Amino acid sequence: MDLTLFQGERKSGLSIWALRVPVLLYIGLMILVPLLVILQDGFREGIGELVHQITLPIARHAISLTLWTAALMTLINAVMGLATAYVLVRYEFPGKRVLNAIIDLPLSIPTLVTGVMLVMLYGPQGVLGNFLANELGFQVIFAPPGIVIALLFISFPFVVRTIQPVLMNLDLAQEKAAATLGAKPWYTFRTVVLPNLLPPLVSGSLLSFSRAIGEFGAVVIVAGNIPLKTQTAAVYVLGAVESENRLGASAISLLLIAVATLILLTANRVQKSWESRYEN
Amino acid sequence: MSIRLENISKYYGRQVVVNNVNLEIDNGEFFVLLGASGSGKTTVLNMIAGLIAPDQGRIWLHDRDVTQETPQKRNIGFVFQNYALFQSMTVAENIEFGLKVRKMPKDQRQRRRDELLELVGLVGMGNRMSAQLSGGQQQRVALARALAIEPDVLLLDEPLGALDAKIRVELRRSLKKIQRQLGVAAILVTHDQDEAFDLGDRIGVMNYGRLIEVGTPNELYQFPKTEYVASFLGSANLLLGQVNGHEVFLGTHGFPLPAEAYDLHAGSRAQILSRPEDIDLAASEADLSGLPLGKGKVIEIGFNGPNQHLRVELPPIDGVRAISPVAPYGIPGFVMDVNRSPEQSTSLPIALNQPVWVGIRRLHVLSHPGLNFLILTDGSLRSQSALIQGGYLARMAHAQVTILGIGPDQAKIESHLLDARKDVGSGMAALNTESAPPPFKKAVTKLVEEHPFDLAILGWRPTAGLDQPEQLLQTGEQHLYLATKPTAQLRKALILLASGEPGKDNVIFSGRFLRHFGATATLLTVLPDAEANDFEMIRVERFLKDGQKSLARFGVQADLRIRQGEVLESIQAEMKSQEYDLVVLGAPLPDRSGHFELEGVIKTTLTSVENCSFLIVRSHQLQRLQDSFRRI
Repeated sequence: MDLTLFQGERKSGLSIWALRVPVLLYIGLMILVPLLVILQDGFREGIGELVHQITLPIARHAISLTLWTAALMTLINAVMGLATAYVLVRYEFPGKRVLNAIIDLPLSIPTLVTGVMLVMLYGPQGVLGNFLANELGFQVIFAPPGIVIALLFISFPFVVRTIQPVLMNLDLAQEKAAATLGAKPWYTFRTVVLPNLLPPLVSGSLLSFSRAIGEFGAVVIVAGNIPLKTQTAAVYVLGAVESENRLGASAISLLLIAVATLILLTANRVQKSWESRYEN
Repeated sequence: MSIRLENISKYYGRQVVVNNVNLEIDNGEFFVLLGASGSGKTTVLNMIAGLIAPDQGRIWLHDRDVTQETPQKRNIGFVFQNYALFQSMTVAENIEFGLKVRKMPKDQRQRRRDELLELVGLVGMGNRMSAQLSGGQQQRVALARALAIEPDVLLLDEPLGALDAKIRVELRRSLKKIQRQLGVAAILVTHDQDEAFDLGDRIGVMNYGRLIEVGTPNELYQFPKTEYVASFLGSANLLLGQVNGHEVFLGTHGFPLPAEAYDLHAGSRAQILSRPEDIDLAASEADLSGLPLGKGKVIEIGFNGPNQHLRVELPPIDGVRAISPVAPYGIPGFVMDVNRSPEQSTSLPIALNQPVWVGIRRLHVLSHPGLNFLILTDGSLRSQSALIQGGYLARMAHAQVTILGIGPDQAKIESHLLDARKDVGSGMAALNTESAPPPFKKAVTKLVEEHPFDLAILGWRPTAGLDQPEQLLQTGEQHLYLATKPTAQLRKALILLASGEPGKDNVIFSGRFLRHFGATATLLTVLPDAEANDFEMIRVERFLKDGQKSLARFGVQADLRIRQGEVLESIQAEMKSQEYDLVVLGAPLPDRSGHFELEGVIKTTLTSVENCSFLIVRSHQLQRLQDSFRRI
């Protein structure tokens, strides 16, 4: 029904710019200008200073902590998100609709609240946190595991929601055909189903990764702000801003922006190549 | 024998989608399952492949019972309507898939793949992705993939349904050629008659889950047994004539009755089929080459290909009624479809509205007469049971239905009949509605004297009394079904036979009726304590075994039960032991004065057995035994 606004093709006239100009201006003002400003600010004192800011020990640690926790989270999310999507699409069970609705909940809960919830559960005062710390000697809160759990929570929907529609469109007859040809269910999943799910799996995982490296609210509550220990890149940027280290803030921000952009482009690429392979 | 299906049934909830299907397919045979969508044909195919488990029955592949086996173990080639190629694989990988699963060495695998590519005419396309192929090519790949594993049987689920007309015909030809070449037994499911006639060594026609008839294309077209098949395949002129002795009469002209029409007794009606190409048109009666039907008028002319297609209106003939084609409203007689070859059209050119003589060159009598049901309604809640159950019964039994609405307010009853049409549901062979003012008996009598029915269906509760059932049994010759609840299910019937009663008619009608539902039956006779000696027991048992045999002839399985003691108590005990949906009772015809009363066992059973519907079957043979009924 996207034709409701379509009023026929027009080759000329002022009116064709009536909507385009404001929209282009809006995008420029809202997205491009801030990006340009921070780009200009980061390179203000030359590339050498920018690199110096990024390679400071505290900054380096924050960046590497951010990247490896996000990577670990992405791996777990990929496997569990795939399994969740498969169960939600292929099986029927009571409460399926409710569960399907719950999956989007992390998107609408303020991430700060997510952090508070996790501290209550895994913190020293929480039953589970107490048990993990005292019985197993495993500290979650104010430690990297807490970061991974917080990131898992906030990016849970990304993989599930990208795989779900692809799986729904995947003809069940392919799996039936494999069965009549003698293939056992797991073999069928690996050779017939999974290759079709790989593109959404990859792009969903990349999206959750890029979402995770910028996460602030949940992480700052769960992990605290301990330089060289639990301070992530986003938290480091806040610290830099507060201590009026404007260049440091800009430099790390630029790095985060660069990684996110790269990932976004890759995800798009994967999607495109998949489409050209199957839908020509 | 490649495939054998034994009493296969499948239910989705209470809905029966495959109903007691029996089928045997020979080695190398190309069998086509033909039916409208929703007829259960694809479900049958899926059950053979093991993709759906049957609720009842057994499946045999090459004399091996595979009912419990997974699809992986059945060694079946399955071709899907939408190809179902593995999208992430090349054509070659698709074809090799089943061989890889079977761990065939790579070089053998590749050799076999190349053979198959050649067989289906796709040499050199092995490296393409499936999305790069046309629909026809994709289906060729799917066929090659299914054949690669050297399947014991090949199952094809509307494989040509998604293709363009031209490619369809082309692929149809290569499909048949390949099947012949490999000698593999194949079942193809389709709703396309041309396809079925072109491909099938034999065709099975399915409708509402039942396999209605099986035969060669010629048998089914020229000599169908059932009305459904006669009218489903091609176009048919179906007339209702009268049986007399060993002849069937259309008006005053008699034809010999075929031997297989065993169900037809003297005086009963017979369905007569004449194909449009078997109808002769001539300028005068003397020029007709077939039996003259009368002088008619051409009301439609058209062409299908080189042949001329006409529709002719004929005046009514005494004792003859048309089933198909249905005469347009306002035509007192009937219409017939005629096909004429180009030679016929040139030797006798015919114009619209021209009077012509119509004759029948060849006709065929259907040996399985269709059932004709009457559903009664007065708009009450009780009638709802009749409409819902009647709709279900008629759909399953392929019966023609007339709904008679009886009520003082004509407009109100007409609007109720509109709703009633919805309640009985779609999928009827034929559905008419009539309305009449009360009294009940007068309305019914008027209708059944015009059109004879096999069965009247009445919504009924014991509290409603026996007046209406009795009135229905006092007039006409129809049997009576009392629907007691608005649920449509008929899985198990209890047939009551009084000891010593010949009971042939009611057992035969029970068989004719129950076979449509895949229902099983229990034949019950109650012996009063005083008569329960060994001699009597043996006699009753032999008598029940005869009944069991009669039912088996209709494919209805029946248990035998003899109980001793008081009649009603015994019936109630039997009802408790199993869940019966229906109790079948025999009743005599009214005596000569038209007097009839429900009494004795029938009356007590009707008024005291709860939670099931009743079928009261009327029997000529019971006449003599009316006294013995009174005695019990």
